Amino acid sequence: MTREESSKVTRRSTRFSSSVTSDNPEPNPSHPPTVADLTFGEESITLDSLLSSFPGRRSQILDLIRLIGPLDSPALPVILYGDASTGKTSVVLQVFTHLNRPFVYSSCRTCCTPRLLFESILNQLLLHSKCSSNGYASAKRCDKPSDFVNLLKEALSSVVETLNSTKLERKLMGKMVYLIVDHVDLIKEWDKGEMILQFLFSLSSVLKMPQLGIILISGLPPDVYYSNMGYTDPLPVYFPEYSEEELRQIFLKNQVNKKLYSAFLDVALRPFCRVTRRVEELSTSLSSLFRQYCEPLDDLSISPNEDLKRRLYSNLRPHITSCLNEVFRVSGRPHDGDTRGERRQKASYSSEKGDELEILDFHMSTSAKYLLIAAFLASRNPATLDASMFDSTGGMDNRKRKRKASEKSMEKKEMAEQEAVMKGPGSFPLERLLAIFQCIASVGDSSLGEEEDEEGEEEATGYDKESNNMMSDILLQVSSLCDANFMIKSGSCPLEGSIRYRSMVSEDLSLKVARSLSFPLSKYLYRR
Amino acid sequence: MGKENSAEKALNLIRGRLCDPTSVFRPLSGSSDSNFSKLKFIVSTSITEGCNNSILLLGPRGSGKAAVLDLVVGDLMEEYPDSVTLIRLNGLLHSEDNCAFKEIARQLCMEHHLLFSKMASFDENSQFIIAMLRECGLAHKTIIFVLDEFDMFAQASDLLLYSLLDAMQSVTSQAVVVGISSRLDADQLLEKRVRSRFSHRKILFLPPSREEIDSLLEHLLSLPADSSFPSGYVSQFNEKIKNITSDTRFKDMLKTFLNANSTVNSLLKFIFRAVSSMNLESGLLSLENFKTALSSMQRQPKLEAVRDCSILELYVLVCMRRLEVKEQSSYNFISVMKEYKTIHDSFQTSDYYAQNVCLRAFEHLREREVICYAENRGQSQAVEYRPMKLLISASELHQGMRSHACCPAILLKLLDH
Repeated sequence: MTREESSKVTRRSTRFSSSVTSDNPEPNPSHPPTVADLTFGEESITLDSLLSSFPGRRSQILDLIRLIGPLDSPALPVILYGDASTGKTSVVLQVFTHLNRPFVYSSCRTCCTPRLLFESILNQLLLHSKCSSNGYASAKRCDKPSDFVNLLKEALSSVVETLNSTKLERKLMGKMVYLIVDHVDLIKEWDKGEMILQFLFSLSSVLKMPQLGIILISGLPPDVYYSNMGYTDPLPVYFPEYSEEELRQIFLKNQVNKKLYSAFLDVALRPFCRVTRRVEELSTSLSSLFRQYCEPLDDLSISPNEDLKRRLYSNLRPHITSCLNEVFRVSGRPHDGDTRGERRQKASYSSEKGDELEILDFHMSTSAKYLLIAAFLASRNPATLDASMFDSTGGMDNRKRKRKASEKSMEKKEMAEQEAVMKGPGSFPLERLLAIFQCIASVGDSSLGEEEDEEGEEEATGYDKESNNMMSDILLQVSSLCDANFMIKSGSCPLEGSIRYRSMVSEDLSLKVARSLSFPLSKYLYRR
Repeated sequence: MGKENSAEKALNLIRGRLCDPTSVFRPLSGSSDSNFSKLKFIVSTSITEGCNNSILLLGPRGSGKAAVLDLVVGDLMEEYPDSVTLIRLNGLLHSEDNCAFKEIARQLCMEHHLLFSKMASFDENSQFIIAMLRECGLAHKTIIFVLDEFDMFAQASDLLLYSLLDAMQSVTSQAVVVGISSRLDADQLLEKRVRSRFSHRKILFLPPSREEIDSLLEHLLSLPADSSFPSGYVSQFNEKIKNITSDTRFKDMLKTFLNANSTVNSLLKFIFRAVSSMNLESGLLSLENFKTALSSMQRQPKLEAVRDCSILELYVLVCMRRLEVKEQSSYNFISVMKEYKTIHDSFQTSDYYAQNVCLRAFEHLREREVICYAENRGQSQAVEYRPMKLLISASELHQGMRSHACCPAILLKLLDH
């Protein structure tokens, strides 16, 4: 295997776990690339091993192989579509390992403009690789579809000529080259994306070269590509989401102790499948849960009997519900070898759900926290109530006179509530934010002063030092909050001329922040 | 082994036929009043009599316009070897004037073995083209301009069309302009000055009749009785094909298929799919192949999307549908969550998850384009507050949920009330 070939293989094989050991990025100039490098060139795998490495994808793999056809058979364009992480790209690449045909792979996620896409395809066909000797430039400059068609014809004819003339004593590669374009649905977001999509779908009829086979991979079904220019549809192959049984086979595949893991999956897989069926999301949550499942066991290689299974399940059960609500969250604490972190984690999981809310898992300075709360209050409360909420002593006064609610007013209240929900958090000018901030920061000062007298921990002295510097750099804090997306600049009123901001934090997060400052947020929040 | 080899060869042969449009349309173009003969007549008269002409080929996508034109041009190249030059342009690629003129100049240079400079400016290219037209006219050579996706040329700008047609009228030239378009009103898109110079000849490509389809099928699927195949196999194969095509079930299948999409191209795709699933061991086609091909061509993507949803995502969809039924004209994620909470409170379902989990399920649905933002301008709002709308109808949702693998019964009940 030449080094050039292996560097090409590593570039393409990031998607599957084959053990290509070479990690040499610079191609050795004394090994010029040949057409044979367009195939995978390694040991080809048999059909059975291909089918067994993709549980649940048997019919799709066979369908794809049949549509590609035997060696040198002309083919119509094919589109594979399905949800994320359903295995489309890996299946295609493995099928090409099995068939050992030359192909060119290009993904619209990495090649995010037409120019990058065209040049990547041409570079691969012209067997050109970007290295320091040619200044990391592509072989040909191409950003228009018209140039691309001409250059592609030339490149293809030269490749096909080489394929025709080489006498390969090893494996037969055939005389066709296949073009695989991945993530076609991202082209819709591009500038002039519709034209590029139309061009891609009709590429085979524009080129009129039967030696090119086209395979498109898309995350969205083909009906989103219908446009009013008419549509030449490729042959569709559908990749459905995995069923529960198939998910179980996938998760069992690479496990060391299959019996233990399958006992775990018996209890854990079904509730998680109700939330999501995507493999990547399930694998992160299941792996952390499996760690908890195996905690009471000393020996991880035993196969459990019924009694043990029942005990492990009862140990795990309270954690499943809390883990379900964390399904999409990746924990920020490191898992490997940090026993202190694990103990803290155990404590947080075993405590009530309400306590979890207290833990704010990122750090903010005190003034930034107050600004966040001020922005939240400014967005939720109507401006007219500011005077009554924050009077000059910094206390609150929002006792409303209770009036008997008539039916009409109840209806009005419901409508107003609905409207408020639809409108979302309101916008406020900068001056109002600063006014509220000054009010609540002084409240915080006075209440913290009391704490200092009582407790005198190290935290309070830290606050004491900071309270003198709190008023500086406020505008800097505002802009960093905007960058962190806690606030956004909404449209400015042309008459007033000042910029208005809008708070983007949820109530949960602001409650957490307020609790970390011991700030009574609920007293200041206006509830209709 | 020999049997499989001949089966593979047969498969390759048929696939090759299906992928090559000219071989498909040749049998359709046999009769004397077909589009092929009409087109050939027009172009050949303008070659022999040395006059200019323009013509439009119109028809739905996949009805064989470009294929028939290729056949005509191929025949004419054989009959008049030195007096025909072909220039091809495509509206998708060359709708800009610069591109178009550059491409014409490049192709002219290639034909006449001249050196083409990529740095030539727009003016130089247009002067070159007009000069070439004059020269070819004087030498009695005809240039055929083929403009694919003619409606894109007509819509983009009329400079190319105008200069071509104008040159044809003023300069002593012999040129034929053939426009191909799938919009039946392509000539209405032309500007007034271009339309006046365009002769309104149109050839319509209509879907083929039943007899034409039957003869086409027979032509495509029969193996030739030549020496590359074992003779017994050829007769066996052709016999099987005859049995299949005369079967009433096959005729019904074909009728349902053609009711949906009657162009020749879609028929070719259907046959391609059926032929590709041919059993290579027996080497013969069967009715099952056609059945599987039909079911894979008739896809219902929205139904599949609903079937792929997890149960939480189904809850979100049902809540949105209920809000629509309650005639709330616009709703966002927060109102959907309120509805979700009321459902949970009244029915005590076991599927009550936290807000961030539901938000992620919401995002999944949006990525799959089952729901979308109701308006595009609300960029300054958080995701939870932007108004949303459903992209599937109530009946699709019903059907999808009923065919879902593990949809809880309570959801179906909620959807109906």
